[in-house]
Parts: sequence; structure tokens; C-alpha cells
Amino acid sequence: MYIASYLSSLMQMSRLVKKSPSVCTDLLLNSSDVCNKLRLMKELLKSSYGPTARLKQVHNNIGGAVVTTSTSSVLLQAISSSHPIISLIKGSILNHVSRFSDCGLFASVFCLSLIEEAGRCDLSKNVIIRVNKHILSLCTAHLQQEDCGCKVQLDFCSSQSLITLARSVISSKPTCVLSEPESTHISRLAVQAFLLTVPCNIPDKVRLGRTVIIPIEGHSVQKSAVFPGLLLDTPENISLGNLCSPLRMVLFSASLAGDLGELGDGRIEVHQGVDTDSQILGQLLELGKQVLKDEVKLFVCQKVIHPVLQHYLRCNAIIVIERLGISLMEPLIQLTGAQPVATLHTTIPREAYGEVHNVSVRQFGSKTKLHLHPAGKTTTCTTILCHRNETMLNELKLVCQKAEHVLRLTLREPCALLGGGCTETHLAAYVRHQSKNNVSESSPVLGCSQTEYLVAAEAFCRSLESVATSLEHDDGASLIDLTHAHHWTLPSDVTEEHLEDATALCGCGVVQSCQNKKWSYLNTEYAEFSPAPLLTASPLQPTVLDSFTAKVNALEVAVETANLVLDVRYVIQDVN
Amino acid sequence: MVPVEQLHLSHVLQTVSALESIVLRSFGPEGGQVLFTRDTGQVMLSRNGKRILTALHLDHPLARMVVRCVWKHSTITGDGSKTFVLLLASLLRIIHATATKEPHMFQPHNSTEAAEAATARHLADRLLEFALTELDELIVLNVLPHGFCVSLDNFTAETQHNLSCQTLLVSFFRTRLGYAYCDFFRNLFCELLSHWKVKDDRPSFSIQFLNNSFPALHTQVSGVPVSCSRLIEGQVIHRDFATPCPQVRKQPLKAVVFNGYLQPKLLATQDVLELRCGDKVTEDRGIVHFSSWTERSVESIIATLQSFGVSVLLCALKQSSAVLAAATQAGMCLVECVSDEEISLFTQLSGVTPISDCWRIHPEHIATLTFCKPLLLGAHRNVHLDFHDCEERLKVKPCSLVICAPSEAQADQHACAFQDAFRMLLTALEPVCKTQTALEETIPSKKCTSLHADNISDETACRVHPHQKCVTETGCVISAGGTFEFLLHHALHQYGHSCSVSVNTSAVVPVSQLLAKALLSVPRQIYSHNLKHFLQAQTRVMALIPKQPHALCANFIHTEGPLGDGKLSSCKKGNISLKFLDLGLESVSCKYQLVLAVLQCLTNLLQTNMVLRTHTVLHTKSHDSLNAHLESSEDEDED
Repeated sequence: MYIASYLSSLMQMSRLVKKSPSVCTDLLLNSSDVCNKLRLMKELLKSSYGPTARLKQVHNNIGGAVVTTSTSSVLLQAISSSHPIISLIKGSILNHVSRFSDCGLFASVFCLSLIEEAGRCDLSKNVIIRVNKHILSLCTAHLQQEDCGCKVQLDFCSSQSLITLARSVISSKPTCVLSEPESTHISRLAVQAFLLTVPCNIPDKVRLGRTVIIPIEGHSVQKSAVFPGLLLDTPENISLGNLCSPLRMVLFSASLAGDLGELGDGRIEVHQGVDTDSQILGQLLELGKQVLKDEVKLFVCQKVIHPVLQHYLRCNAIIVIERLGISLMEPLIQLTGAQPVATLHTTIPREAYGEVHNVSVRQFGSKTKLHLHPAGKTTTCTTILCHRNETMLNELKLVCQKAEHVLRLTLREPCALLGGGCTETHLAAYVRHQSKNNVSESSPVLGCSQTEYLVAAEAFCRSLESVATSLEHDDGASLIDLTHAHHWTLPSDVTEEHLEDATALCGCGVVQSCQNKKWSYLNTEYAEFSPAPLLTASPLQPTVLDSFTAKVNALEVAVETANLVLDVRYVIQDVN
Repeated sequence: MVPVEQLHLSHVLQTVSALESIVLRSFGPEGGQVLFTRDTGQVMLSRNGKRILTALHLDHPLARMVVRCVWKHSTITGDGSKTFVLLLASLLRIIHATATKEPHMFQPHNSTEAAEAATARHLADRLLEFALTELDELIVLNVLPHGFCVSLDNFTAETQHNLSCQTLLVSFFRTRLGYAYCDFFRNLFCELLSHWKVKDDRPSFSIQFLNNSFPALHTQVSGVPVSCSRLIEGQVIHRDFATPCPQVRKQPLKAVVFNGYLQPKLLATQDVLELRCGDKVTEDRGIVHFSSWTERSVESIIATLQSFGVSVLLCALKQSSAVLAAATQAGMCLVECVSDEEISLFTQLSGVTPISDCWRIHPEHIATLTFCKPLLLGAHRNVHLDFHDCEERLKVKPCSLVICAPSEAQADQHACAFQDAFRMLLTALEPVCKTQTALEETIPSKKCTSLHADNISDETACRVHPHQKCVTETGCVISAGGTFEFLLHHALHQYGHSCSVSVNTSAVVPVSQLLAKALLSVPRQIYSHNLKHFLQAQTRVMALIPKQPHALCANFIHTEGPLGDGKLSSCKKGNISLKFLDLGLESVSCKYQLVLAVLQCLTNLLQTNMVLRTHTVLHTKSHDSLNAHLESSEDEDED
């Protein structure tokens, strides 16, 4: 007895662990260790940027599945650094990606370039922070303007620009390994699914529907398809008899496995001879009888259904689906108009029943799916995604979700930005021009000298251009044309003299090369100029578009995060 | 035996200087952020001295005592933690210098260290005594005429005062969040205040209310730029609807709050339900009977609610799926797991009481809402609602604050700055005027205290609020950038001169001189990047002081009492405020309390002369050591 109490007292004491003091680090942006870490992170993310990116394989030390990706959300989550600066940047970017799905790599490469450039120019950090913030407001104001040279209005009358937007998202991830027609097919599907989720009759508040993505491995991408309505898993030997439409259905959110309801925390003592199981089962069968009487043809339960009840219902030609899962509950409720039932003892009210127009069985390889056709107009649809292997399929699923999100963002702001690095070079040229012109007004407001202002602005522009440069991974050169300030890439085997022939179009495909164009290599000095607006009658449609909302947010998040990192003077790490 | 560690003055100085060097990184206009990680790996950011110091998890007992004092002070005033450490270090340095220079001025001692310690202790006591008796008068006479008053009424009024109040806030946010966002958050803060300002009531009431209910009043959103931060009308409940979203329906809506479960718990933890084998015919289906009873009771509750026309249910607890289904079928929307703070805010704003007994629902439980809808903030769906007749009932327009930032750490930092701004305003504008209590506590008792000293500093730090009423009564502010320190420095200097002339105690170092010298270290750090600016600022402030002969000044103090409030508020506000507004403003009463708190802490520090390190068994299996510990802890410390 004594030993026992002594041991327990020891165990209680052993939970008291002395807190060790925190570890402090001073002026960390001057330390080469931190700079190296940041540079490494930048190289890693830079090489994953764009359609010709180098892929990354992520695998853990305990033999988990290997993930091949170039998506920022997966990559950043895989980077586990104990350094708080890295986790600060990582956290900001991941937060952005979770809100907007797109432009995560842009934001991280830009943010890390800003930090690196700030380290290079010998200015007080406070000056850099203030100038960065000022130029950011210049940029966002410019992007919000109607006549901004790198913005295109989206035309909802034709699906062409929407498909281009979706396609830019899909083709920017080379892990999907899509051929040209395949990526076109997937982009079309993405736009089709998006359009299906937009309600036709608009009440006072628009509520977008849901797209359920079902990945199926081992088929060609061309087999992917979009269906209105829902596709549910179904038991193998399902027989659909003669069903007259519409079908009445019931949806249970409570378990029908025969367990006891919520009676409380007390104990229940069952004496011999009492058969509670059969009492509950009898209750469940009562429920089955009522459902049968009410001519229900489809019986769905979120959780498990007792096998006897299942058998009883099947025998009476009712289609039974169990273990639906919480994630499909909401789309099913939207699709059928059913109200989930959780009471087992009271009669099910008429209003709780839902309706589907029809059901049919669809076969996708080895998988059998029950297709619920909507009774009226619906905003719920299902995308079947097929691909040859699991890695590609996983990435394709991510990319499709991303494309859906990007398309939805266009409803908020119906415009897009030129892709292919053209927005970055355009903005850089614009900022250079503006900062040169208003240096005398801006520098006193920001409390710095004119030279300081210009040096900091130049660092900002170089960071922007370095993002455009990171699109190129095959030793090609990045150029900027000196009229429209668009981005051009020059393959490594072509010299500058043959530029007109080698690169017919700029990064976004709006500007065509011609004889009297002047180019300059990015990251070299060129005389500042105001980017000329494109001719409105340009015959060329942009081939690469980026989400406007996501990119503007990414720009702001990148600058704010960089400013935050530059402002850090001291690090205190709790090592407990 | 317990290991004993003698504490010398130099140790104390060393410790405080170490703290100072950490705090200095984020002090003043050129200061930056401190990034820290929690033991959970969570990254936090701060420029708040209190947070930085507590994040250190210090081991040294003296340092912990200092941190404790800082923590106490800035929890009350919401500001001044960095200056606290700075001033303390500077005072210690000066006392150390004085004590080593003339260690025998007090009494003969056997060792130089002991003599130094005695001198230092003596000086600290006299400093505190001086501050408690003379400082307020000095401030009233020499500092207040250069400041001016703000009161809370001015926040919304479009006057010149308004400008100064806003400047006060800008300076505060600048020290907390840096240049980039201070103006933005100042505007947001003023907007919030004006929404919550109760008409025809004491303004501090609404600040107090905001301070208390701030956790429920703000929502942090990460992943979007700071500029997206905004106010939204009504209250945000940080939960999603548990039942499918409500359709657009007639307004206004009726809502109730539940504290408990809607479905009755039939069996409490101790209860036992016995199921006997009875007569099958008479027994009503056994166990099924019980569960059907609970379901029927849910239905009857929902029916009662329906008869009242209730369509929104806010519940503190998680409800069963039967309740959710019943609510869905009745067309009600239900929110589960609402936090206590939000429920209390809701009940305060709606004026209803939560239902604890589901069988007794009365009209006074039913609140009226203008709307109740889902609101997507960042990644989370929230419930957004507004109250129907709030403007007539409470005379306020309820609104909630959405704080946005790219990372959680930054959003959290901004929220903390808001919370502290309320505290700062409360101290600055309507400070607590405590009567003189237990001053004898601070008079040195010749007892050595073992430094498990948390409780000591607790007691004394609370009693910082001094006995006088004059300084603290008005919401007096003065331009920032060291003006307070320059002015007080000058006043103390003059005072010291007059004392040494009139009272012939040349042997004693005038303590006012020490304090004067120490005060200058604060502006010196503010302008540490540029000495020229320091001198410029000093000349600028000195130019304001009217040239008076020393003797006259001293007489003035003795003959006249503290100036009346009316004089202070009106004098000079025009020219100074305009001249120094670009530097920002700070509250005089905050500064005054700061000086007192520092001196209090200093006395505490210097009274200690020994550290006893007692041992508690951690991870030790040996029985002997436990016994040894028991023995050793019985040894009382003695001097």
C-alpha cells in the first residue's frame, strides 16, 4: 500500500518537468545560415514553378507513399523546418493557397526574392519596408484600373476565355502528364462542371452548388466526364426493376444498426431473458413498414443499416444505400430536397421525403456507380476523373479542384491577368517608370532620400522580374520587349539575332514578334519606359491567363510577408 | 544544505542589462519585430515588451522577478513595458556607479560589496520615497503645462481635440505594429469606438465593455492582406450552422439560447436502468420505450418553440442527431457549441436570458434578430446576426471586428494590439484613483527574502497607484519622442539644485539628480540611431521651458499647491500640439505610473541579497533524495 502511493506520487511528480529557458537569436537576416536556408527554399520552389517545372518527389523516412508533385500546397506542407522564419513564410503562403487555391508558388518565389534583394541592397530595413508598401499600393491601384495593360475582361457569353483560364491552371502542373488534347478535354470538363453549379433562376442570394470529384484509376483521361446529379457507391448485384419516375427517397442521418439511442451516461442492467436486440430490431422493421407503405423507392443512410432491415427492404424492391458518409450528405440534400431523419420512433413526416427523377447504373471499369438523376434543375454535379496511375490522378484531382475554385473567383471579379510572366514584366516596367517620375513627391512622404527610394524600388522590380524568369527551366533566356513590356523566352540554342523567328509569341500569346521590336534581357539594365497599351483590335487572344483575384491577393500577401520577415530583429525559441 | 548564492549589485545590474538588450531590439521608431515560437511549434510575432519577456522562460530568479513586475505593470496600463526595463536598467547603472564611487557614505561595513549593497538599497528607498511624495507635484508643475487634455467625448466629435486623440492612438499602434499599419488600425479603432459609444453615457463605460468582450467581438482571418480588415454590423458567432442553412424568410427572426441539452438525458451517471423479464403483453416494448420517450420530448420542445415563432437556436452544447433532424424538419436553424463569451455577449446585447430548463420557455427568453445568415470569413463559416432594436434599447450600434493578416501570427499580434489599446486608453483617460494604501509595505524591512519571489512582487506591484489625485484625474497627453522625459529631467534637475542649496546636506547625493539622469536614457534610446536628432529634440523641448531662477522655482513649489484642472487643460495646447503632433502623443498618467512602478521594482530588487535554491525532486527515483529534500526544505532562510 505504501509503495503504491509512493509510486503514484512519483508519477505525478514526473509530470512536472522544469521549463528550460528559451533560445534567443539576434539579427537573423545577417546570419549566413538563415540566408542559406531561405535561398534553398527559394531554389526549391522556383524550380517547381510553371508548366515546364521540375517535379519533386516527397517521401517520408518511415516508408510512406511517395508523392510526386509541383503544387505549392503539397510542397510547402512537406517542408518541415524548425526555423521560425521558414514556418512564418510557409504559414502565410499556405493560408493564401487555402483561400484562393492559385498563385501559391508565385507568392512564395516573389516573397523570397524580395527578402533576398533587400539583403543585397545596403539600406535600412525600415526604408525598404516603407518603400515596398508604397509600391505595393501603386501596383494594386494600377491593377484595379480599367485600362490596366495586363488585365483582360472575361466574356461570359463565350466559354473560350473561361477554358483558357482553366487550361492555364491545369497545364501549369506537369505532374498530371497531360497531352495537348487531354488538357483541353479536362479544361472543358472543368468549365462544364463550373457552369452546372451556377444556379439558373437567381433568387436574392446566389448559392453555388457542389461538384463531387470521383477519381478512377487505370483509364484514359479522355474517359473523364461530368454528370449532373450524384453518383453513389452501390452494392454489386443491384437490380433495378421497373421504376416509375419520379422516385421518392428517404435519407437517414442516424444509425440504423440497432444500437441504443442516447439515453445518458448511466448503466443499463439487463436481466436474463430480456432480448433488447430483438426489441430494437422490431422497432427498425416497423420503420421499414412505414417506408414501404409510403412508397419509398430509395433508402439512403449516412451510417450503417442493420442487415435484417436491409434484407427486408431489398425484398420489397427498395434500393438501399448505406454508409453514405457525412461529406455527401449536403449535396444529396440539395439534390433531392430530402430532410435527414434521425428519429426512429415517430412516423416520418411527408415533407422529409425527397425526390429523384430516375436512377441508373453506370459502370466505370471495375466500379459500379448508381447515378441519381435530379428531379428538377440542380446545381449538384459529379466529375469522374480518369487517369493512368495513382500519382497522376492525385495531382489531377488537386488541379481540378484548383481550377474549379479559380473559375468561381471570376464571379467575384470578372477579369483575368495575362499569364506567362507578362503581368510580372509589365508591372515591373510600370513601377520603374512611376517611381522614376514621382520620386520627388514620394520620398519625403516615406521619410527617405531620393536615392534610397530608387534603390528600394529597383529591388522590388528585380524581384518581380525574377518571378518571370523562374518560368524558364531549360537554360533559355528571359527577355522583355521595350514597347509593351511583355515576357519572352529565348531557347538556349537561339541567339538574339534570330529572335523574331524563334519566338513568335510572347509568354501570354497576345503580342507577336515583328522586325522593329527591341528586346532586353531581364535582370539587365534598360532605360525605363511606360509600357504601351495593346491595340484593342488585336487579333490574338491570350493563350495563358491567371486568376485576377488570386494573383492580386498573392502579390499583397507576398509583400506583407516579406515586410514582416524584414522587420524581425530577434528570435526567441521555446525549446520545451 | 541549500546552496546559497550571494547577490551583488553587479549581478542585479548584469541581469537587468541582459533583459534590456533584448527589449531594445524592438524599442523606438527604428525597432522591429521579435519572432518567437511556442513549445507547440506555433510561431508568434510581437513588438510588445510584455510578451517578449514572458516568452523567454527565464531561469534566473531575479530576472523572473523583473519580468513579473513588468507583466503586472503592463497588464494594468497596456503599455510601457519596454520603457520599464530601459528605465530600470538605467537607474541600476547609475546607482551602481554612485555606490562604487562612495561606498562608505552610509555606514561602515566589513566588506566593500556589503557596503555597496547597503548604499544602493538606501538610495533606492530614498528614490521611492521621493517619488511617492514629490514626483506628482513636479509633474503637475513642470510637465502638465506643456501637455493638453483629451477626453473620450472627443473621439467622435469633429474638433481639434479629436486630432490629438487620434494621434495618441497612432503613436500607440506605431509602437506595436510598426509604421506600415498604424494609420489603418487607428481609423478602424476609432470607427469601432464610435459604433459602440453609448449615447448619453460615460464614454469609459463603452471602452470597458469593449475591453471585456473583445474575444467575442473580433474574428481573426489569415491568408488575406491586412487591408481587408473591417468592421461588420452585428455579432459574429464563430460556429457554423449545424442544420442545413436557413432559407431566406420573413424578418425579424426570433432566437433563443440554450445552456443544456435539448434531448433529455434519461440516465445520469449514477443511475442504473434495470430491464427485467416481465409479462410481454403488459410491458411496453422494454428498452425501446425509453428512447422513444426522449424523442417525443424533443418533439414537444420543438413544438413549443414553434408556437413562439422561434427559428434560430443557439446552443452551448453539442446536440444529438435527433435534435438536429427535428430542428431541420421544423425549419429552424441550430448552432451548436457556442462559446461562453459569445453567449454572454449575445445575452447582453439582446437582453434575454438563456434557457436552462427546456420545459419552461417564456417570452423573456426570446430575442429578436434582424437577420441571421452564414458568413464565410477565411476558411471558416460563421453565423452572422444582428439585433433588432439595439439602437433604441442599448443606444449602441453593435458591430464586430474582422482582423485580417497573411499569417495567424500577425493576425494575433494585431488583435493583441487592439486589446492593449483599450487598456491604454482606460489608463490614459480615466485612470484609477486609488487612495493611499499600505505604503509601509514598501518601506524596507530588514528581512532577507528567498527569491521564490513571485508573491512579493505581486503584492507590491499592485500598490503602485499612489496616493495623490492630481496627475491622474485628467486624460492628459504630451507629445511623444521623449518630451516627458526631457521635461521631467529638467524639473528634477532644478529641484535637486534648489534642495542642495536650501538644505545643507551636502553629504547626501540628491536622489532627484539620479532619477533625472536615468530618465534621459529613454530619449537617448529613441534617437539611438542618430545623436544629432537627440540633441535637436532636447533643445526643442528645452526652448519651451520658461527661464526662471532656481530659487524662485523652489519657492513656487512650496507655496502653491497643485494647479487646478481647468488651468491645465486650456493652457498652451494650441502651439505645442501643432508643433509636435508629428511625433505622436503619449499619456502623462501612463508615464507617471511607469516611473513609480519602476522605482517600486527597483526597491524590491535591491532588498534581496541572497538566492536560496531549494530542490524539488524531479525525475528522481531515489528515496534518499526525497528525504533529503524534506529535510532541507525545513531549513528556514535567515539573514
